[in-house]
Amino acid sequence: MGIVLVDGIEVEVGDNERINGIEAAERAGIDVPHYCWHPGLSVVASCRMCLVEQGTKDPATGKITMLPKVVPACQTPAKDGTVFVTNSDKVAQCRAQVEEALLIDHPIDCPICDKAGECRLQDYHFAHGQDERRADIRPFHSKKREMGETVSLFVDRCVMCTRCVRFTREITGTSELLVINRGSHEEIDVFPGFPLDNKMSGNVVDLCPVGALGDKDFMYSQRVWFMKSHDGICTGCSTGCNISTEENQDRVYRLRPRENMAVNKWWMCDEGRYGYHHVHAEDRLVGPRRKDASGKHAIVEWNTVTAEIKTKLKAAGPLAAVLSPHLTLEEAYLLIKFIRGIDPNAVLALGPVPTIGADETFPNGFTIHAEKSPNRRGIEMLLSHFGGKTLSFEDLTAEIDRGAVRAAWVSGGYKKSDWVSEATAAKFAKLDLLVVQDMFVSPLWNVATYQLPGGSFAERDGSYVNFNGRLQSAKWAIRPPVGAWVEGQLYQRLLERPGLFQGRKVLTELAQEIPAFHLAIGEVPSTGLDLTINQIAQQPTTAATV
Amino acid sequence: MLAISIEALVKIALLMGGLMTGAAYFVLLERWIAAWVQDRKGPNRVGIPLTKIKLFGLGQPLADGLKFIFKEEATPGHVDKILFTLAPISILSAALAIFAVIPFGSVLPASFSEMIPGLDHQVELLVAPGIDIGMIYIFALSSIAVYGVILGGWASNNKYSLLGGLRSSAQLIAYELPMGLAIVGVVLTAGSLRLEDVIGLQASTGTWNAFAQPIGFLVFVVAAFAEAARLPFDLPEAEQELIGGYHTEYAGMRLIVYLIAEFLHMITASFLIVILFLGGWHFWGITGSENANITWFEAIARIVVLNIKIFGVIVFFMMIRWSWPRVRFDQLMSLAWKVMLPLGIVNLVAVATIVEYQKSLEGKLGGPWGVTAAMWGVSLLAWIAAGVLAPLHSDNSAQKDSFVLSAEARNRGVRPGVTTSI
Amino acid sequence: MQATDPNVKWIEEPKLGLAGKMYIPAVIGGLATTTKHLFSKKMTVSFPEERPEIGNPLIYRGVHRLNKDDQGRVKCVACFLCATACPAHCIDIIAAPSPWPDRDKYCESFAIDELRCIFCGMCEEACPVDAIELTSLFDLTGRSREEMIFDKEKLLSVYDMTKDAEPMKSKSLGGAP
Repeated sequence: MGIVLVDGIEVEVGDNERINGIEAAERAGIDVPHYCWHPGLSVVASCRMCLVEQGTKDPATGKITMLPKVVPACQTPAKDGTVFVTNSDKVAQCRAQVEEALLIDHPIDCPICDKAGECRLQDYHFAHGQDERRADIRPFHSKKREMGETVSLFVDRCVMCTRCVRFTREITGTSELLVINRGSHEEIDVFPGFPLDNKMSGNVVDLCPVGALGDKDFMYSQRVWFMKSHDGICTGCSTGCNISTEENQDRVYRLRPRENMAVNKWWMCDEGRYGYHHVHAEDRLVGPRRKDASGKHAIVEWNTVTAEIKTKLKAAGPLAAVLSPHLTLEEAYLLIKFIRGIDPNAVLALGPVPTIGADETFPNGFTIHAEKSPNRRGIEMLLSHFGGKTLSFEDLTAEIDRGAVRAAWVSGGYKKSDWVSEATAAKFAKLDLLVVQDMFVSPLWNVATYQLPGGSFAERDGSYVNFNGRLQSAKWAIRPPVGAWVEGQLYQRLLERPGLFQGRKVLTELAQEIPAFHLAIGEVPSTGLDLTINQIAQQPTTAATV
Repeated sequence: MLAISIEALVKIALLMGGLMTGAAYFVLLERWIAAWVQDRKGPNRVGIPLTKIKLFGLGQPLADGLKFIFKEEATPGHVDKILFTLAPISILSAALAIFAVIPFGSVLPASFSEMIPGLDHQVELLVAPGIDIGMIYIFALSSIAVYGVILGGWASNNKYSLLGGLRSSAQLIAYELPMGLAIVGVVLTAGSLRLEDVIGLQASTGTWNAFAQPIGFLVFVVAAFAEAARLPFDLPEAEQELIGGYHTEYAGMRLIVYLIAEFLHMITASFLIVILFLGGWHFWGITGSENANITWFEAIARIVVLNIKIFGVIVFFMMIRWSWPRVRFDQLMSLAWKVMLPLGIVNLVAVATIVEYQKSLEGKLGGPWGVTAAMWGVSLLAWIAAGVLAPLHSDNSAQKDSFVLSAEARNRGVRPGVTTSI
Repeated sequence: MQATDPNVKWIEEPKLGLAGKMYIPAVIGGLATTTKHLFSKKMTVSFPEERPEIGNPLIYRGVHRLNKDDQGRVKCVACFLCATACPAHCIDIIAAPSPWPDRDKYCESFAIDELRCIFCGMCEEACPVDAIELTSLFDLTGRSREEMIFDKEKLLSVYDMTKDAEPMKSKSLGGAP
């Protein structure tokens, strides 16, 4: 173990750790400003913002020898005896000069720049820059160039940190971006005919420390300071990337990755990033409906539904419930409680798990899974705990066709309406009572007795278990549209539990009841809980594999 | 008997009509004075309805009244419905009933009685003439106003209303004492509880009680302001602190009943100030002194003089409202108990002494003017003593010592700016 | 700020003299002041017949207008700074890429709820391109709440109405000299 001195504060560095000056300073609680360095990318030391004074402490005499020049902290290894000084006048002067140099040909169009408010150039200029701009003020305009389907480049705003270039080379391995020209004419660009079109292209916008790379999806739609960020989990596939759902007044404007070294590191794929538009789709269902005697659906009050649905289900006979892999653990748990509370022998089934293509892994290990639902594994774990009659969706359909089941509760929550075929729906139509919860009209929705509009991922509060058994909790970010009830709240009401649905409370109850989730009794860390540690002894046998 | 009944009914009708119209137009006057003092023009729009004639806004009270009448009679769900309705009724009926013994003029000439068949006496401009306990009656009824206020505050079931009601009860009870003491001084000199007699004495001697008993006059005026809950003593309402005080929850007709009662209190107070201390209908040289052979000119002059005096006192009430800020509750209480009550006692003792030894004193001090001079001396001394000794004023300035805390005090968790001594 | 701060100046309140303690002179003084005002010149006017005189239209805070540049286009670049500064949250902007080559962003829609507005002028202070300004029009009326939500066209028309009487305030950003 080694000791590194940062501004006189001793920082411990492990023997096999390889950290640089910025990371060592961070451990001492000191922020070293930087543009080009990123923990996930290679070090180029090109921005010069992290210049610090460095020296060595002689272990024998304790004498500190400083280097006469300043060095970039990002490429200076922090080893035993390394000394960094980040608060001297010299360092402050360096930062001010670097900041001034970067701003010489910056358009300073912060008012129309989408990055304003979360821009490092702004923040560092306030913290370290000079009070006065000595360069002439240039015209209020920024050259714009398209990089691909998802990203635009504002050339003037770029500080040439090359984070984006390194990302396409090191993380995706697609190398679309490059630096053209030299010296003060340097610009980021793509080869003609080879746009930035990889499946993780959106990440370069997050990486960009300034407003040079703009996300076309988010462009000009909202200023960042109006938005509130909520910790969430991407429900696009079974990877379970950690995300921040950023919303303003119940409208989601963008999703951004949240660092979790165990799952997605700093990245997320474009499919997940832009996969939130269904939340605010025009055709999203609102207002519960009930089929009347003539076979038409008429809007009813939610209170009517919650008041009568239990007795109707009870009267209908043998019951089945389809648990969508889009449900959170807590919601699935409450639904099982509700259904089994009415009919202890009710059939439980996992809903269809949408699968598109094959898993796709990038050179750095980031994987986009083919399984496009977030919680298949969690539902299977619940099913294996509750046991009884658990079937696959296909077997349940056959069972319904035979007439062994007279009523069913189907939870949907799929982003698209093609998760169930017309043929399957026709079989479900034979039921006496069919309750369908979904966000969009599907063949099954059309034959339902009760059509209950449900919540989207941004409205759900609860936990998911990803492809390799990691339980991660998401907080609700927005309220559902008027007329739609999030599943958790509906089940809470149906179970006649008082108050509002709170994921955390239900998770504690669930974890106390089900051994496989015992780890979640305490706090679920922001990076999630690896449930497989708990399950070496008891491998779950799942319904789908029976 | 019939004639007497008709006479009484006519007087009641006159008084009621006059008071109600008066109260409405005093509201307009109040708004005008408020506006003029604040350099505004004030209400000057409403004239004759359906025409463009503005008449300086004299139609305003009519419009205000209509507005209140047609307003929704909202009763909040959380109030005590019976008391909520009873409270404004009780306060208004008490305020009106007081006027049974208050003269609104003197008498009409005997020639008037001769014109009306069945009238065998001179008509006194007083609803219930000859009541010997007039002043006690006034006192009793004005105390009932407390019930109206505190019942309203209680029945509203609202913390602001209740606070207003509580403040009001404390205030009205506190100021009844100095008011009573000041009245006792007048009663002693007049030797009667009838207001007609009090005026008669002032008219016959030509010395108004305000001159004869300056300290009693002062105590009475201050107490009258407080009893009428007028600024600077309008703590029961205090809209900056209590929204509307005890009538926060009231609207429509019930609110206007409260507001009229408040104005009637002020008018009553003005009547009492004028009658007890400012000579009533008396003015030197024009009002005569004999009731028996009064002329028409004198009778009308007495009514006019009385009303001019009352108008002047009401204007004074309204001017004081914009000249003085509201006092704090502790200041209100200390003024009542520590200043006004002792001053009232001083006045009473002085008057009693002078009345007792009047004959012998007049000889020594040289006539009624000497007695008055002695009263003035006593008053001045008492007032100076009160000003110097008693906390007429309190120090409200920020004290540096209370802000700069010692380390020890800070450790004890004392917050700066908060006086810790009890 | 601490009470011990050297910048805090502690002032001794003047002691009351005998006259002050006697109260009566103070009351007469107060009454004299109010009586003086009772008869002094009135500051208000009989509004619809007489109109108040606006001292300096440049600093008056009345109805908003959206300024146009020399080509007649809206000057607003949809930076949302006015909406950010607005303490009453009465400004609603929808931004879009501009159709003009010399600008990236402009406001597709710009609405001010004049009923919500408190006319503090913070939007004018915040605007980096002097696109939003407050005019000296003060008597705005409407028959519905919807009518009082001024959209972009209405705000631009306020500019057309007032541009001759009240030129743009900032000279450096295109205002009249």
